[in-house]
Amino acid sequence: MVAALGRWANGKARDYAYALGFFFQVLKETALFMRRKQVAFRVLVLQILFTGVEAMSIVALIALAFGAVIIVEGGTVLPRFGQTSLLYSILIVVITRELGPILTAFIIIARSAPAIATELGNMVVSHEIEAYMSVGINPIAYLVVPRVLGVTLSVMVLTIYFNFFGLVGSFLVAQLIHPIPFVEYFSALLRTLQLRDIVSTVLKSVVFGVIISVVATYQGFKVSASVTEIPRSAIKAVGQGFVLCFLADALITLIYYV
Amino acid sequence: MADIVALEDVRVTLGGFQALRGVSVGFAEGKSTVIMGPSGCGKTTLLKVAAGLIPPDEGRVLFNGKDIFLLSERGLLDMRRQNGFVFQDGALWENKSLFENLSLPLQVHFPDVPAADRNRRVIRALERVGLEESASERPAALSGGEKKIASFLRALMTEPALLFMDEPTLSIDHAMTDRIHQIIRDQKGRGSTIIAVTHDAQLTSTLADRLVVMDAGQVIAAGDFDEIKRSRHARVRAILSEVLKDIASYDTDLLSLLDGKGESI
Repeated sequence: MVAALGRWANGKARDYAYALGFFFQVLKETALFMRRKQVAFRVLVLQILFTGVEAMSIVALIALAFGAVIIVEGGTVLPRFGQTSLLYSILIVVITRELGPILTAFIIIARSAPAIATELGNMVVSHEIEAYMSVGINPIAYLVVPRVLGVTLSVMVLTIYFNFFGLVGSFLVAQLIHPIPFVEYFSALLRTLQLRDIVSTVLKSVVFGVIISVVATYQGFKVSASVTEIPRSAIKAVGQGFVLCFLADALITLIYYV
Repeated sequence: MADIVALEDVRVTLGGFQALRGVSVGFAEGKSTVIMGPSGCGKTTLLKVAAGLIPPDEGRVLFNGKDIFLLSERGLLDMRRQNGFVFQDGALWENKSLFENLSLPLQVHFPDVPAADRNRRVIRALERVGLEESASERPAALSGGEKKIASFLRALMTEPALLFMDEPTLSIDHAMTDRIHQIIRDQKGRGSTIIAVTHDAQLTSTLADRLVVMDAGQVIAAGDFDEIKRSRHARVRAILSEVLKDIASYDTDLLSLLDGKGESI
């Protein structure tokens, strides 16, 4: 029993040490990325295409829907309490501070995290990673860093894009319930919007992007020999991505607004 | 002749299994060494450790006298340029075309050479083996033999002085086997150092200057090919016999096979 517990603790400690080592390698290689004559630049462009550009339509659709839901709910409930003027604050708080970053992160976790973990896991099993090493390519620099940069940049831009469409969506629905002139609506929103809201949304999106990409690439590289490990890694990339993004969201909100 | 690669008391555990148990062996520059042993005895692990693809848990791996795992980034890149590795399953990059698979090593090691020159070199290599029509194909569209040939071409793009080969003729037809034998003979003719894991008796007979015999993660015999193939060591005899599927008449048939007088197994 004690021996089994010791083995379990030893295994866990080794896993955490490996994860920490992986993270520091990623940081180091990311810092060196621009200084090197990169053959990995194409990988970065492709990652932005897969994670960012291809997700634009689904992000826009979800943002429009959520913006609409918030204004319908707010427009129905707030007048009962005589707080109609709070609608703009609620839109900014809910969409810009919270829903924009976290829902964009969820969309990317669902779309890209399993794809990245699966692709890298397959590359490990088919010895493609060793093949990269054999020709002198550092797999962290060539395969991980472009994905981390691509996903992080994509999450950041998509979050701003989500916020924009969320607020536009709410405006469109507002036209059906209680038509407001375009200028009046957006000037009221801009008056409510503070710089720290923008900083918060950008900070969260960057942190979420790093979490999603590092977890997904780590899980992909953790596959050792068998294809049966790949779906498990993909599931872990999604599960751990969700949990860590939620925790980071709570932590940033606590530090930033409390 | 000095060893180009040497392992010193190397131990490797993979997934809780002790793949190498205190292996010390040297590979002489300019010589061709064949590593033989039963399945699962650690041959591929030894090859990958020697190539610096798997780090040992204990012991050292020396390339030209320097510990591979302590080399600077520049030193490691230089070592990789001088080495080529042919993987058992080809290990071509599936998300790249055949052309890109061959051009990437050149981009890494010769970034200052104009792209047009690098591309010409890739096309010439493909023409040499008749694969120029498949240049834009992904590896999934190639046959097993073509993948193996492409893996050879990729390993040879930087004209390495040292070539590692893991079962270069496994699971491919006779025509492809002949082409691969020719590539290997050419490489040997150029004076390259070759370290190969193979069960191919015909290839061994034409290639090997030295033979390393492994069993259960250990090197049990290493030396000149002629000396090892006539070894009276019971386990070495048993392993060579087992590996080469020779059952009863070891002294006659096995020696014929290893002398290149028999059929390829």
